[in-house]
Amino acid sequence: MHYLIIGGGIAGTTATEELRKLNTNADITIISEEEHPVYSRVLLPHYVKEKIPRERVFLKKETWYAEKNIEWMTGVICDYLDVRNKFVRLSNGREVEYDKLLIATGGEVRTAPFDFAQGINERQISYFRTLADSDHLVTLLSERDASTQGYVIGGGFIACEYINIFAHFGIPTTVMLRSDRFWSRVFDEETGRLVNQRLLNGNVEIKKSQTTNYQLPTTPSILGIGIGIIPDFSWLRDTGIKTNIGILANEYLETNIPDVYTAGDISEFQDVVVNRQVNIGNWMNAQMQGRHVAKVMLGEREPFKLVSSYATNVLGLEIIFVGDTDRSAAEEIVVRGSVLDGGVTQLFLRNQKLVGATIVGRNSDRQPITAAIRDQVDKSDFLG
Amino acid sequence: MPKLTIKVDPDLCIGAASCVTIAPETFQLNDENKAYVLDHGTEPTPRTYERVIEVTEDEKENIILGAQSCPTLAIFIYDEQGKQLFPEQ
Repeated sequence: MHYLIIGGGIAGTTATEELRKLNTNADITIISEEEHPVYSRVLLPHYVKEKIPRERVFLKKETWYAEKNIEWMTGVICDYLDVRNKFVRLSNGREVEYDKLLIATGGEVRTAPFDFAQGINERQISYFRTLADSDHLVTLLSERDASTQGYVIGGGFIACEYINIFAHFGIPTTVMLRSDRFWSRVFDEETGRLVNQRLLNGNVEIKKSQTTNYQLPTTPSILGIGIGIIPDFSWLRDTGIKTNIGILANEYLETNIPDVYTAGDISEFQDVVVNRQVNIGNWMNAQMQGRHVAKVMLGEREPFKLVSSYATNVLGLEIIFVGDTDRSAAEEIVVRGSVLDGGVTQLFLRNQKLVGATIVGRNSDRQPITAAIRDQVDKSDFLG
Repeated sequence: MPKLTIKVDPDLCIGAASCVTIAPETFQLNDENKAYVLDHGTEPTPRTYERVIEVTEDEKENIILGAQSCPTLAIFIYDEQGKQLFPEQ
């Protein structure tokens, strides 16, 4: 039996590790676009801020793969999949057969279409997804002087990281939002105001900009872009694998094609906790799905069940997302707290159940909310 | 039963809560959104980021799994001899 894992990130590597743990004899191959062993993307801001040395971001040593008898192919991507004859073709031309295939390729960073004629130097632009991106940012930061300005485009998790990094190095910062608030598709006005207030108190300038014609000055600057990730489905065309935002999967993380599974940021799976097909791009979800899908690939028949969450902070203000935070999928949203109180929690409800929440500046809400989502308690029992 | 020293570095912890999901009897989050250490769901001494607890082999394995799940490697585990079990050195 040959297990082929596409994607060397945390979902793919965790699946690989679990497969080996549960089946010592299986042939396992993992294909990674990057040349490095798996590393923690969550640790990259710590590295950039010089809180940890670069080598601390790695979660496995290079020797780990061979020690575990795992074939590790780096620096290649898949450019073709044949689900009928069960093989993939790699970017180096090699073909690899499989019995069971896991797609855990995550997402590609969404790039901003700049008019470079405006005087923006491409080198000033920073994305923040990979270790190479982080190395580039470290270089840019090392070249800063007293006149360096930080610009951030985007209003999500990555934008928060840039703001924190620029603040750490004392670089004056301007953030450019398409809307009037961060996470405009998730946050209500009050939560948005709370975040904006923290930014303004931290001397971050907020500019609203509908276009990518950002009018950046030509003075020394670093332009951090965090406008999301997009999955690459191009190599899946003609396979019949169904996709939407991500690769569609059932509660077992199986796609509609036999022996093809998916996990991590690229999966859009049937979430049995919130009873909806969701795409969740966070570390906990990717790691737990990786572990779970390995068991399913080995024949276990348990649905994936997790209330995942992600936490960050911007200039010390804690921001936590729990469960299904898609506003458009909520039937009712209950808001607790206010800017004046220093914290706002939004509760997302559907079918009389709590399915998700955003918690900003109200950390103590997290535990009871997570438990209520997990236990699928009735709205009346939770809200009183 | 083996004794483990379990330590959370609050400077590294970002409150991702993976450890809480995997080993809730050992880790919970405080109001600063940092993981602290419990002894089988209890706090026999004041709230702390470091604790020595006695565990079964199964519990030990699960606690190490919780530490491995931490995206910032903020959890350190040592055995009775002071040898660092995780992160592996």
